Amino acid sequence: MIFLTLMFSTFREAIAKKIFVGFFAISTLIILVFLFLINVDSIEGMVNMMESSGEEGVKQLVIGFEVAMINISYLLIITFCFISVSSFIPSMLEKGNIDLLLSKPVSRTKIILAKFSGGVFLIFLSLLYLIGFVWLILSSKSGFWHVPFLYSIFWLTLSFAIIYSLIIFIGLISQSSILSIIISLFLVFIVCPVLFFREETIFSLVSNGAAQFVINFFYYVLPKPTDINQITTDMITGSPVKSYMPVYSSVIFMLAALSASILYFKKKDY
Amino acid sequence: MEIITTKNLSKEYPTKNFSKEKILALNNFSFEVQSGEIFGLLGPNGAGKTTLIKILLGITFPTAGEIKIFDKDISNESYKKKVGYLPESHKFPNYLTGEQVLYFFGMLSGMNKTDVKKKSDEYLKLVDMEKWRKTKIKKYSKGMLQRLGLAQSMLNNPELIFLDEPTDGVDPIGRKEIRDILNNLKNEGKTIFLNSHLLSEVELICDRVAILNKGVLVKSGRVDDITAISDNYIFTISEADEKVIHSLLGNFKATISSKNEFYFNTGSIEELNKLIDFLRQNNILIHGILREKNTLENMFINLIENQN
Repeated sequence: MIFLTLMFSTFREAIAKKIFVGFFAISTLIILVFLFLINVDSIEGMVNMMESSGEEGVKQLVIGFEVAMINISYLLIITFCFISVSSFIPSMLEKGNIDLLLSKPVSRTKIILAKFSGGVFLIFLSLLYLIGFVWLILSSKSGFWHVPFLYSIFWLTLSFAIIYSLIIFIGLISQSSILSIIISLFLVFIVCPVLFFREETIFSLVSNGAAQFVINFFYYVLPKPTDINQITTDMITGSPVKSYMPVYSSVIFMLAALSASILYFKKKDY
Repeated sequence: MEIITTKNLSKEYPTKNFSKEKILALNNFSFEVQSGEIFGLLGPNGAGKTTLIKILLGITFPTAGEIKIFDKDISNESYKKKVGYLPESHKFPNYLTGEQVLYFFGMLSGMNKTDVKKKSDEYLKLVDMEKWRKTKIKKYSKGMLQRLGLAQSMLNNPELIFLDEPTDGVDPIGRKEIRDILNNLKNEGKTIFLNSHLLSEVELICDRVAILNKGVLVKSGRVDDITAISDNYIFTISEADEKVIHSLLGNFKATISSKNEFYFNTGSIEELNKLIDFLRQNNILIHGILREKNTLENMFINLIENQN
């Protein structure tokens, strides 16, 4: 019960800070744009054209929409989520608040895990709303009920959870939301894509074996949201997934970041 | 029965992050708090009072020493179920209402929903915050927040309550009400650990006090013993000539403070009467004799000034 209370306090904080409202406003806007798009004449015409080319044509169109949706969610929603949740830990650590929290019969491990679970569950619900609605609209319009699209809720939530574990760690050490946002966005939108395309980008410029080894080392050690996004796209399009290594290594990174956060929090004086 | 026992408790802080230079916030601090008493912790700013409370509550970790609360080591969190705490300058989430604050912290204390609701009603009434229960706390004044904080600290029916500056920001009537609440809690058998700068208040409600300065225990004992009436008398007299003054200083343990005033220190009533006889025989008019009262504040200031 204590764990749930702590977990749902994250929800309450999200509601109070208008994070929920913001998320649902953005999601609803995307859903409305989607609704509008699939009803405009040119798209209707495209659907009719695809329908005339058979069931396969409709499927391809739906999948195309879904992939576009995943990329929008990844870019827009995940960014919004990082910005939103980055204040959870620094606000918990404020003087006068953390003292009270730690004076209660709750272990520090439980506090970190509850904050983590609360944030992840919050994003899961938000993605469920956005992707679930888009799926319903696309499916009812096309008659093609493409279930693998719904799996992206899980994959996007996982991508968020992995980076959120890092946000928690940075938040605990620095007590700064801004630093958490900067590092997580830099990692997700610069470091990870560059490492994902390292063979095409860096390695074409750097031929030194030792340097390539160091870059590969960072690729394997750091989380891989770009790779997970690729896996999600592959699953939706029905392409074979080359490797699940990015998922395993990212989950290991998440567990390591959470363990480090717990260890640090357990030893820290407040 | 001892509720809190510490032995040679020490706490060092680095002066800066990752610095090897340390500040000793507590130095071999040993003390006990008895069950059912109101215990006051006194000391100037930076003496280590809040550090001590935080160590007792597991918020900060000691560098050395032993702590027992309810006769058990504090490494297990379970003792906190029987503890209430009102921190100095507490910060409740300001998007919650008074009632929601109590619900949140009540649930975190391991209470069930029904008990939290029942106790919230009871304590909001006790601290006179019933009509503000549904108001967001960002609209509360400092005094109201303090009252809510006090209700929060009592909610789980704790056996031991730590109060860090509980009357901070509260008006005199509110302070009196808080004192009454604390006395009622004491009558119910609760143990209260009070940290306050308001020495006159501590004197009014505490059974025992400990004075902390620069992390060291300077004095501890019963308030009655510490503030026992002194043996110092202040005499106000008509102007006396030098010969009489000389004789006064030669025959009695007196200290002249001005032409019309001197201090006389004695534990004997006969000595006091002998001095009065001496003054009368020398035709000195006695305007007044005042027995100096040793307040906790006087004693505290003298003690800290001597230490520093």
